[in-house]
Amino acid sequence: MRNTEFLRNVTIGQYLPTDSPVHRLHPTTKMLMGGFCVVAAIISGSLGGFVIMVLAVTAALRLARIPLLYAYRGLRPAVPIIVLVAALQILFASQSDGGAVLWSGWIITITAGDFLVAATMAVRLVVLILIISFFTFCTSAKELTHGTEQLLRPLGRIGFPAHELALVLTIALRFLPLLAMEAERLVKAQVSRGADFGKRRMGLFKRVYRMFPLLVPLFLASLRRGEHLVLAMEARCYTGGKGRTRLVRFRFGPADGAAITAVVLLVAAVLAAHFLRLDSVFLPRLEGF
Amino acid sequence: MQNASGRFPVRKIVVAGLMSAIAIFLGATGLGFISWFAGVSITIMAVPVIIGAVMEGPVVGLVVGFLFGVFSLIQAAVAPKSPLDPLFVYPWLSILPRLFIGPAAWIVYVSAKKLSALIGKAGEPVALVLAGIAGSLTNTVLVLGMLGVFYLGYLDWLTWPWIGSIVVANGLPEAGAAAVLTLAVVAAWQGIEHGRRKSRLEEE
Repeated sequence: MRNTEFLRNVTIGQYLPTDSPVHRLHPTTKMLMGGFCVVAAIISGSLGGFVIMVLAVTAALRLARIPLLYAYRGLRPAVPIIVLVAALQILFASQSDGGAVLWSGWIITITAGDFLVAATMAVRLVVLILIISFFTFCTSAKELTHGTEQLLRPLGRIGFPAHELALVLTIALRFLPLLAMEAERLVKAQVSRGADFGKRRMGLFKRVYRMFPLLVPLFLASLRRGEHLVLAMEARCYTGGKGRTRLVRFRFGPADGAAITAVVLLVAAVLAAHFLRLDSVFLPRLEGF
Repeated sequence: MQNASGRFPVRKIVVAGLMSAIAIFLGATGLGFISWFAGVSITIMAVPVIIGAVMEGPVVGLVVGFLFGVFSLIQAAVAPKSPLDPLFVYPWLSILPRLFIGPAAWIVYVSAKKLSALIGKAGEPVALVLAGIAGSLTNTVLVLGMLGVFYLGYLDWLTWPWIGSIVVANGLPEAGAAAVLTLAVVAAWQGIEHGRRKSRLEEE
């Protein structure tokens, strides 16, 4: 097998603990910020708005002491799909008010407006990737679960199983390294018994078949661990989330208020640019998605 | 034993967490992609969702599907595995279709078992296979459908036949793999459970 070291790959995003003001924000604040920005980026269709967001995220990256080159390098894998979608847009779609028709043949219609629409779509994808990456740079897995539970707690009062969902997330994240170790052990055991996970040319059937000695025991071992966990929780009289307190407490501070305010202003600016058509005097807008 | 957590018994929470972990793990390490040729691969990451739904019900399937979707969204932004991956930062591609995998698999499983009970045959293996196929096809059809609706609308003379061919060429082998894997895992697990809990004198 090309790589038996699974432990290294099992991280969600790349948390960079630079201990910046942004890192020290309450996890729920970070989630809300990320969420608002993502929603704004999805709703909005104005290129000007997206440019504002790129600038804002860049500023936030500086504030969080994350190397800009590192963050922007993460965009590299997205380049092929951006180019493809832009090409499809330019070649095949045409805006009714897109301006001069530059070339029209067969099934291909290129208008001047197409390029700007393609650019807008590209920048929107870039914005979304940057926001989500930034969120993973600043939030560790532990903070993720705390933040989720805190975020959903108000819903818990109206009967939504907030605590249970947060617990599912906690268990999932906690089990990832265990799964990785289990998988590594399984691969080594199977290979030492002569199994071949190699990349040689073999039909799909065979390839799927060869994954089974790894996958089936992985599932079964996890389910067995799950049984132990259920027993352990019930033995410790787990009764759900009512009145439950936490050992590690995150507190809201003035920095959180400032951060949320900044994000709300940013979102307002972006949405205003979209709905008030501030920049579509000279730029087209994306309608829909 | 009385389940102390009321509406959401501990077992459901734990199985949901476990299956989510496996789904995330398969995606993060690339094990969930079985490569076929020239960059095309079939994915088996719907299988944990299906198994969760079959074993513990549609709500667990929904939760696992949701978490799978969220993490594939994060994965798409931070560490995309294939050229098409970055598009999955849009939630209607990554999260929305995945919500339906679990409930669809569960409905098919329960219906198949009921039908086979009527006929009088032991329908467990067949129900598992059908649930696996249903779950995987739900994933394939909905994801490709969303792709078609949002990104290929202007190619309408081409879009749906093209997507249809991908569903057949890619989706059917995926469904087959999911079916066999679901059957293997759940049947083995139920065998283990039966072996432990029931005595040999009881009827299976």
